[in-house]
Amino acid sequence: MVGKTVTLTGNLAAGKAAEMAKPKVIAVYPITPQTDIIEYLSGLVSSGKLEARFITVESEHSALAACAGAAWAGVRTFTATSSQGLLYMGEWVFWSGYGRLPIVMPVVNRCLAPGWSIFVDLQDSMAFRDAGWIQIYTKNNQEVFDTVLQAFKIGESKDISLPVMPCLDGFVLSHTTAKVELPDPEEAYSFVGDYSDPVVEVDVDNPWAYGGLVGPEQFNIARRDLMKAMERAKAKIIKVNKEFEETFGRSYGNGLVEQYGDDDADLTLITMGTMGDEADEAIDQLKQEGYKVNGVRVRTFRPFPVEDIVRIAKKNHKLFILDRAVSFGHEGPLRIEIEAALKRYNLDIPTSGDIVGLGGESVPYKRIMKIAKEALRS
Amino acid sequence: MGTKLKDLMNNPKEVFYKGHFACAGCGSALALRHAIGAIADKVILVVPASCTSVYQGSGKGVSFNVPTINTAFASSDSVASGIKAAMEIKGKDVHVVVWAGDGGTADIGIATLIGACDREEDILHIMYSNNVYSNTGGQRSGDTPIGARTSTTPDGNTTARKMVPFIMMADNAKYVATASVAHLTDLVDKVKKAVSLKGFKFIQIDATCPVAWKVDFSNSIEVARLAVQTGIWPLFEWERDTGKVIISRPSQKYLDKENRKPIKEWTEIQGRFRGVTEKQLKALDADTDRQWNFIKKFL
Ligand SMILES: Cc1ncc(C[n+]2csc(CCOP(=O)(O)OP(=O)(O)O)c2C)c(N)n1
Repeated sequence: MVGKTVTLTGNLAAGKAAEMAKPKVIAVYPITPQTDIIEYLSGLVSSGKLEARFITVESEHSALAACAGAAWAGVRTFTATSSQGLLYMGEWVFWSGYGRLPIVMPVVNRCLAPGWSIFVDLQDSMAFRDAGWIQIYTKNNQEVFDTVLQAFKIGESKDISLPVMPCLDGFVLSHTTAKVELPDPEEAYSFVGDYSDPVVEVDVDNPWAYGGLVGPEQFNIARRDLMKAMERAKAKIIKVNKEFEETFGRSYGNGLVEQYGDDDADLTLITMGTMGDEADEAIDQLKQEGYKVNGVRVRTFRPFPVEDIVRIAKKNHKLFILDRAVSFGHEGPLRIEIEAALKRYNLDIPTSGDIVGLGGESVPYKRIMKIAKEALRS
Repeated sequence: MGTKLKDLMNNPKEVFYKGHFACAGCGSALALRHAIGAIADKVILVVPASCTSVYQGSGKGVSFNVPTINTAFASSDSVASGIKAAMEIKGKDVHVVVWAGDGGTADIGIATLIGACDREEDILHIMYSNNVYSNTGGQRSGDTPIGARTSTTPDGNTTARKMVPFIMMADNAKYVATASVAHLTDLVDKVKKAVSLKGFKFIQIDATCPVAWKVDFSNSIEVARLAVQTGIWPLFEWERDTGKVIISRPSQKYLDKENRKPIKEWTEIQGRFRGVTEKQLKALDADTDRQWNFIKKFL
């Protein structure tokens, strides 16, 4: 069978990628706008097209707990969530990150209550920045598919062994249909490979205790090991991005950041998620009007691509950061990270930025053009 | 059925290596040694935050000789479900057993417990009941009996125990039983029976905490024996397939209230009941009747 081009929502793209990776245990709890990912997989399991245990638990806390149990038993696991669901999972998000359990869990980004709203901003996943998960933000449905597939390969590598959160903007991607090139399922599976060599695998013949009491010394060994794994993950993501390009002909920048435009532009716009796609359009339009604007989409928020940001910033001294979340009492989280990266390399480059698109407020390219023009003027 | 005292010393595997941190007279550790010891060659243990997560030992000095997964407080049955699912897919025949306190079962863990039960997960949940949050210093739990002083009920707990076995019967578990550290052969029989059945099994063990109950550790077994003899803690089994309760041998005599020792014999050897009022004792007696009356409906 060869690949084919179809039209899919972002959720179905995530579901199809999971299907092709053949997870063995899927534990789920519904929340808008994640639901059709899990509904799609439930259909596959019940019809026998996907050989897996599908566990309909009573809460998100339990969904991730069940995935963790299965991951401890050494099998490939998958779940998905969003917003309040991610918050409710909280304890297990940290537990599975710090426990180095390579679960793949798309987060369909949705804002947090109150008030109730089901639309996108990045406040939910940003709250879990420090949970020891790799976070990859996507710009379109094709990237959703590709990233979910890559996530298994990245997270499950023995030298990484980390959970991965592919993030997709709620509704803008999750419920919007777009063209997606699907690979031949066998080729997709062989790209991911078997999960054959887990770091932990509970075994009655070789008893170990996991997650028990530890003193400060062992505790610090574990946390420093996690820090190193995150650092190694940068190279791994770049490598997988390259291998993906060689196999399927698509890539996303170097895997960590995607640049659109020229290094010698007068302004660099830094964004994440679908705002990155809108920014590309804005840059094209601005070019026609004679403006030279460069776009950088941060794809992996964790690990954070410090070196790439610094490399780009050195060439282009005017940075404008568009955040879709807030660290209340400070700035947008993306801007905070970028400022810290510049500081780490002693680059005295002032940044400016704005917080936009909260609670599903739309950020079309025209708005980004306006923002860019103002930034160029100031 | 039929476990003999000498069998208790011939488990397939000793569960404890040296180096455990359990207090002298700890009912949970004793129960674990025998309940898990009896099936230890095939067990994966799942332990939420509790005394058990502490007394298993620390770092490289872990004393348990069975694979042990420590979990966040409110989710052991979900973790166990995930492990069992993975093991089934891998074609491995293992007993996945949750070993949880009353807090991790009756209170914060009740959603995950009932969730796993109504999904008919093939796991065994053992609740060792010391009636308080022992690990954090003996605060009241939903399983605290009327009249007991805890660190958060200084004048005695006023409300009746949450009887998780009854909840599990209502939720149609495969097998439900109560047990006691004073009757270890009965406990082992029940554990062996439970793991021979497919589906969700639940056993609650009355397990002394000498610290929280303020009893001398040498009385750890005696106080549990008195709980049976006073009728405070009825030992029984219930099976979904028959819908019937069977009163276990140590408790059979106490089906008739006439034969029970006065509840005071149980309260008086425990410091946690010092200062208990007559009104509280009356309420405790009435609650004991409530339990028996419930069980009797299924005889
Ligand atoms: C979410 C969460 N809340 C609170 C705690 C603190 N905590 C740890 S153990 C424990 C008490 C456990 O009580 P129980 O389940 O009865 O077991 P025992 O300590 O009596 O063995 C508590 C409250 C925790 N670890 N996690």
